[in-house]
Amino acid sequence: MASITLRDLSKRFDSLIAVNRLSLEIQEGELITLLGPSGCGKTTTLRMIGGFETPNDGEIYFGERPVTWLQPELRNIGIVFQNYALFPHMTVYENIAFGLEMRKEPPAKTRERVSAILHKVQLAGLERRYPHQLSGGQQQRVALARALVVNPAVLLLDEPLANLDAKLREEMRFYIRGLQREFGITTIYVTHDQSEAMVLADRIALMKDGRLQQLGSAEDIYRRPSNAWVAEFIGLSNFIRGTAAGRDGGSLTVRTPAGIFACAGDSPAGDVIICVRPESLHFGGTHANRIPVVVRERVFLGNLLDYQVDGPGGLRLRVQADPSRIFAPGTPVDLSFSPADAWVVRGSDG
Amino acid sequence: MAGVDATVVATPSGTGARRFPWIAFLIFPTVIFLAVFFLIPYANMVYMSFLVKPETGAYIKQFTLGNYARALRDPFYWKVLKDTFWYALLTTGITLVLGYPLAYHIARVPKRWRGWLLVLLISPLLVSIIVRSFGWMILLGKVGIINTLVRRYGGPELHLMYNAVGVVIGLVHVYLPFMALSIAGALQTISPDIERAARSLGASPWHAFWRITWRLSLPGVFAGTLLVFVLAISSYVIPILLGANNVLVMPMVIVQMLLDAFNWPLGSALSMILFGFTVALLWFYVKLMNRALRWSIR
Repeated sequence: MASITLRDLSKRFDSLIAVNRLSLEIQEGELITLLGPSGCGKTTTLRMIGGFETPNDGEIYFGERPVTWLQPELRNIGIVFQNYALFPHMTVYENIAFGLEMRKEPPAKTRERVSAILHKVQLAGLERRYPHQLSGGQQQRVALARALVVNPAVLLLDEPLANLDAKLREEMRFYIRGLQREFGITTIYVTHDQSEAMVLADRIALMKDGRLQQLGSAEDIYRRPSNAWVAEFIGLSNFIRGTAAGRDGGSLTVRTPAGIFACAGDSPAGDVIICVRPESLHFGGTHANRIPVVVRERVFLGNLLDYQVDGPGGLRLRVQADPSRIFAPGTPVDLSFSPADAWVVRGSDG
Repeated sequence: MAGVDATVVATPSGTGARRFPWIAFLIFPTVIFLAVFFLIPYANMVYMSFLVKPETGAYIKQFTLGNYARALRDPFYWKVLKDTFWYALLTTGITLVLGYPLAYHIARVPKRWRGWLLVLLISPLLVSIIVRSFGWMILLGKVGIINTLVRRYGGPELHLMYNAVGVVIGLVHVYLPFMALSIAGALQTISPDIERAARSLGASPWHAFWRITWRLSLPGVFAGTLLVFVLAISSYVIPILLGANNVLVMPMVIVQMLLDAFNWPLGSALSMILFGFTVALLWFYVKLMNRALRWSIR
């Protein structure tokens, strides 16, 4: 078990900068997800940590041990790939025993440990099957068992659930989370699926174009996005453009074409964007910020109603409300939202 | 009719057992072609190999085992047969050793380069085998480029042509693309992640290759070796041009028997003997192959 430190890590492929001065500290036993759209550098980062790519700049440490230039086989890592990368010519048993064999463990001990981990991942009895004789979920668990049986210092997971069907994917999230807690192993989990990241991660490292956009808990990132891109990538958000007009007590005053609003944020100046989640906009209500709007469209989503509304100054907003009160299209109504739910980010890099 | 359609819809991946497989008729043109141009001539040869060769004329229709007896009793033919298999084996081994790294490189290079490398690899096949053999003569001959250079630096004269060395060089050159292509095809299907997984589990690059990549590429290795071996056994032009008459292989002897000695029955018998030994050898090889590839049988 070890913490992982990335210091100013960079990787270029020809003219493309895949990872750009990435610094990250992952605590011992923590599960961190690298989240971002495809091409954001998350997989390249994982490969550098695994030793399959050499960084152009920067350093990687496992605990105090610098591993930047170490071959993968000397790093003591466990890794699970999207396609599982099981050895198709080996049985389940041989797959899992491979790492122990490479470590020259005595056969008796190997048998013992393989059988213990097979029980843990509920695959006992399937030792002699070949990978192609297993279901996707079973292959996934073999891959996990193979990575964990060698007691690696860190566990690296590269979109491990992407090839499973939706229902199984949901189950496996909790399964992986449980397994990781049980082993207490420092884990980096690469995914492009935000709900997966939110369920699994202690902290999420959100990446775009090779750069770290924000590092924090799911709640941090959802409630206090560092920029408009983050707000847009995670969940749904309304954006109201405006100009910062100073502080008033605890809140930030923002002037917009749709009115003047009291907001929260890290006091940026000049052009700003107010991010308001659709569920933070309330019909009626007594919150400090009010906008008169006209209902334009309404969609029934079961547990809530999804509205598109038109506000002053060409503003179009999305509102998600509980279905107890229903507003027909064309109805004029007042929206209100709390300053605490109006998070302000800089407008220039939107 | 509706019932049949319903069955099809219900099993889209198709057990198809209840439907007549009309699509199988698509192989008919090939079957007819092979029957007319391959099976019938071959059957004719089998027939002829059991006929008697008279003093004059091609054959008389009288059954005999004499041609086989004569061929199998004569140590000369045994030696030619042994040499033929030996050159083919050597060619297969050398193309494997040279072709594997080539194939590995082609399979692992970025996709945009791969097409060009494949074109380069098969470009020698665009030149006629005769032209290529003459090219080798210019290089390998007594006053060829290699010997001229070696002599200039005081080296001994190298006997590179009109012997087994020249023949094997020529064969390796011609059949290398077949080996490399077969292996590259197999290597391309192996995800680089599989090697990465092996490395992450503590395997050195050599171990990862030997325990994983090599094993998984065996289907390509088997295909390539089979192909090259069979092609090399039946090669005729290269042994003639680069071996002169110092190297004798079965196809040469068979052609001499058919055209020069005008002994069709014996020539046919020799063909059948070569064919029989080749098939027997391949049968063992395929057995071995199936055992090694047991894991891939679904």
